[in-house]
Amino acid sequence: MAWETVIGLEVHVQLLTRSKMFCGCANRFGDPPNTNVCPVCLGLPGALPVPNAEAIRLAVQAAVALGCTVHTHSVFARKNYFYPDLPKGYQISQFDLPLATHGSVEFESPDRGTIGCGVTRLHVEEDAGKLLHDRIPGRTAVDLNRAGAPLIEIVSEPDLRSPAEARAYLTTLRQILVYTGVSECNMEEGSLRVDANISIRRAGAADLGTKCEVKNLNSFANVERALEAERERQAALAERGERVLQSTLLFNAATGQVRMMRSKEESHDYRYFPDPDLPPLVLTPAWIAERRAELPELPDARRERMMAEYALSPYHAGQVTAERPVADYFEAVIAAGAEPRAAVGWVLGEVLAGYNASGRFEVDAARLVELIGLVNAGTVSLQAAKKIYAELAGDGNAAPRAVAERLGLVQVSDAGALAPIVEEVLAAYPAEVQRYRAGEQKLMGFFVGQVMKRSKGKADPKAVQPVLLSKLG
Amino acid sequence: MTIGRDDVLHVAKLAELAVSEADLPRLVAQLGEIVDYVARLDEVPAGEHAAPYLAGPDAVRLRPDAVDPVPLARPPAAIAPEFVDGFFVVPRMGGMEPA
Amino acid sequence: MTAAATAREVGRRLVEATRLNATLHWSQELLDAEARRVDAMPSPGPLAGMPIAVKDNIVTTEQPTTCASRILEGYMSPYTATAVERLRAAGAMVACKANMDEFAMGSSTEHSAFGRVLNPFDPERVPGGSSGGSAALVAAGVVPAALGSETGGSVRQPASFCGVVGVKPSYGRVSRFGLVAFGSSLDCISVFGRSVDDAARVLSVMSGLDPLDPTMLARAPMPVPRARDDLRGIRIGLPREYFPADLHPGVRAGVDRAVGLLRDLGAEIVDVSLPHSPYTVPTYYIVNPAEAAANLARYDGVRYGVRANGPDGDLRALYRATRGEGFGPEVRRRILVGTYVLSAGYYDAYYRKAQQVRALLAEDFRRAFAPGAVDFLFTPTTPSPAFKAGEKVDDPVQMYLADVFVCGINLVGLPALSLPVGRDGGLPIGGQLIAPAFEDEAMLSLAMTLERVLPAGDEVR
Repeated sequence: MAWETVIGLEVHVQLLTRSKMFCGCANRFGDPPNTNVCPVCLGLPGALPVPNAEAIRLAVQAAVALGCTVHTHSVFARKNYFYPDLPKGYQISQFDLPLATHGSVEFESPDRGTIGCGVTRLHVEEDAGKLLHDRIPGRTAVDLNRAGAPLIEIVSEPDLRSPAEARAYLTTLRQILVYTGVSECNMEEGSLRVDANISIRRAGAADLGTKCEVKNLNSFANVERALEAERERQAALAERGERVLQSTLLFNAATGQVRMMRSKEESHDYRYFPDPDLPPLVLTPAWIAERRAELPELPDARRERMMAEYALSPYHAGQVTAERPVADYFEAVIAAGAEPRAAVGWVLGEVLAGYNASGRFEVDAARLVELIGLVNAGTVSLQAAKKIYAELAGDGNAAPRAVAERLGLVQVSDAGALAPIVEEVLAAYPAEVQRYRAGEQKLMGFFVGQVMKRSKGKADPKAVQPVLLSKLG
Repeated sequence: MTIGRDDVLHVAKLAELAVSEADLPRLVAQLGEIVDYVARLDEVPAGEHAAPYLAGPDAVRLRPDAVDPVPLARPPAAIAPEFVDGFFVVPRMGGMEPA
Repeated sequence: MTAAATAREVGRRLVEATRLNATLHWSQELLDAEARRVDAMPSPGPLAGMPIAVKDNIVTTEQPTTCASRILEGYMSPYTATAVERLRAAGAMVACKANMDEFAMGSSTEHSAFGRVLNPFDPERVPGGSSGGSAALVAAGVVPAALGSETGGSVRQPASFCGVVGVKPSYGRVSRFGLVAFGSSLDCISVFGRSVDDAARVLSVMSGLDPLDPTMLARAPMPVPRARDDLRGIRIGLPREYFPADLHPGVRAGVDRAVGLLRDLGAEIVDVSLPHSPYTVPTYYIVNPAEAAANLARYDGVRYGVRANGPDGDLRALYRATRGEGFGPEVRRRILVGTYVLSAGYYDAYYRKAQQVRALLAEDFRRAFAPGAVDFLFTPTTPSPAFKAGEKVDDPVQMYLADVFVCGINLVGLPALSLPVGRDGGLPIGGQLIAPAFEDEAMLSLAMTLERVLPAGDEVR
């Protein structure tokens, strides 16, 4: 029997603000426990929330980047439940009047080409604290540094049809959110979290099957693995003629299995109601339009443009635009006068390796362009240029030309300077000279190699051959 | 409509409030009386889409994104019922699962 | 008189007033420290040396803040409420923390976990509530002014029962930062005074925008009002729904006499109607418990307050025991009702409906205060004088009806005050003045004018 998989994702993203969503505590990861806390995020008696303007700006930025309709009037609501990481006994979120609805993310599906996945809604909320179960024997430790951090939740339509497609959607979503400066989207640090809803139905059926929610997904790869496991579980049930029960499941990355956490009957009654501490969030159409105008060029559009403008292959354009800082650097190198073809080689090679290792661009665009110029002029070999690059990376003040000279990497390409070396070589190998003159032309490579060797690599191979030809004449 | 014993136990569970068997009958009666009393709002004609009341300003004021928490005159350790190594401490979850 | 001398005198009076059980915390040491701070201030400030009692649901770092609940017994707040900060900066001294109904839920101050407060006029009677401790301390002459809080008349009603002035400002006029939340859309820090002037001066200092309270309106601080020469050109409405046939005859006589004096001062008295008034109390008892149920969820024994571990030793047992044992009966009732009206399937019928009816109530007042209609409304504050302790404590709905004339004002966010208009059988009677939103200053000014001619200590019949 052929089963069709239907997947929708709920993605929580931490916003890149200085302070928390509703209080002036630092929005920072990694401090000693319970040190970034105040009356508001501790839920102390009498404290009140005041929303962070920058969090709202970033949320709207994300919403317009995802093509959402941003509502001029949205409402904060209390989601009521008890849990030790939730200081007030309710989470401030948005419910029936969210910030934004009706968006779409266009992405490359591994199965279906370029498709769009609908975004049902995007809303603003506060994060909970962290619980540590292995810190104190038999007890649970509570750290509220993260409590009150600003989040957006992005709920997709059930438009995804395979676990691999879900992963591709997430990859594109993350790229957009990072591009727009909304979030770091780091799953290991928890600044991006995913819950997945999945159901199966007979291929061609119109109605949706019973869905299950899978939680505890800590990487995109695990999202795919967990959804595959859950798809298999549901298909096996269906093949046996059993019903899928609506439930919430936890994924265990170690075993690759999902396990039941609670069934629908135990599902929560959150008693949502508008937060009486917070008047409506009112945005003007003009302000929303400004956010739209502020939007940077998104990865898709930038890739297309780079292919057209710089004649890059789709693969190279995709690589260069994968991360906004890399794309920005690349275009800065072009703007400083480099040829796109040479720039791509450098940016996807040395530059990206350095950026991935250190998180920064070690050689500024102007110096890289100068270095590329030395290679183009034949002043240094490509090999030598890579050595020079390493030096430049370690010393922000070093100039390419000076480094090339200091390391003795400047190529000898002047015929007059090369002539004595060529003569030495021909004198050292009389037998080979004779064989060459007798017609064994492939020995040219041998002579070039010998000249390179005697010049300690400084000779420019392109300049050596004409000198050899004239001497062997 | 009157509140029954099961309703009271259900909301007590949602509110995480222990209710003793001894208190239950009186609580059921009192809550029933209160809920019956407030249910007279049924009489008021108000369409499904009538605007609800809004207290305070029409629009929320936003705060600039600056790190300036209201200072604590005493640390969490000084107010917590159980505090170890910088953490608030609670018993294990038991049957509780995250939301 | 130096603040130090005042502090010693207040201490002496607090000892004398011990039998009222009106305080939950005070010490001569803290009072003396307050006095030293004030006496050392380079410029004395508008409230220099004024001792003020603070209801125990307003947080202060120096004293415990318990909300008269077991669940917060001994709780020392790590911060101080904005309103108290402003009073202290103006030279006022925190005299004590005042007893109250637990978490401000009640109309008699019998729902305190630390014992009921006695009415200074008759120890068998209640002082009203929930700010009964603050009212009793002003009535007994211990302090000239006290902070209370209102969610549904919790200052005006006890002011009426105790024969003092009680002023509830417009919603959004005084910062709620540091007022322990009960019904967030209703809560207002409010003031008791021996006179309208005492209360007005305290209110003036506390008013003005606080960036920490998102529900405040951006208004300048309220100037201290002055009495008028007369009330010519002022129209005062008497809403007929506030004068029911079964109104206590003493209350009716007191209010009638005050209305006569208003007329004598030149005011025009007109009959008006607030047609949705019969739905005030039911609306209030949906909105209030719903907000309270969420606001009181934070008392879970995890971060602060008193923890009870429960039988099973797991987290849920801890929650249920902490909250089950820590909250008193009225608080438990409200949490359960509030949880019920917000729960799946009931939200629209109760909470949403109540918020719609609340809009209709607000519209009633808007019409009454429309241009060409009336400038103020005048009503009795309570349907009867102070009732006896024990009379309503086990009958929630009867207790709720003690607030029938006051709680509607909180639903619509208007300023209102109660001032003593006379006595009946030795018990004080209060009259209520209601003003349009942010007309607090004009309302106080009118009250001062009336106060000058009112024989508030005289029997009304």
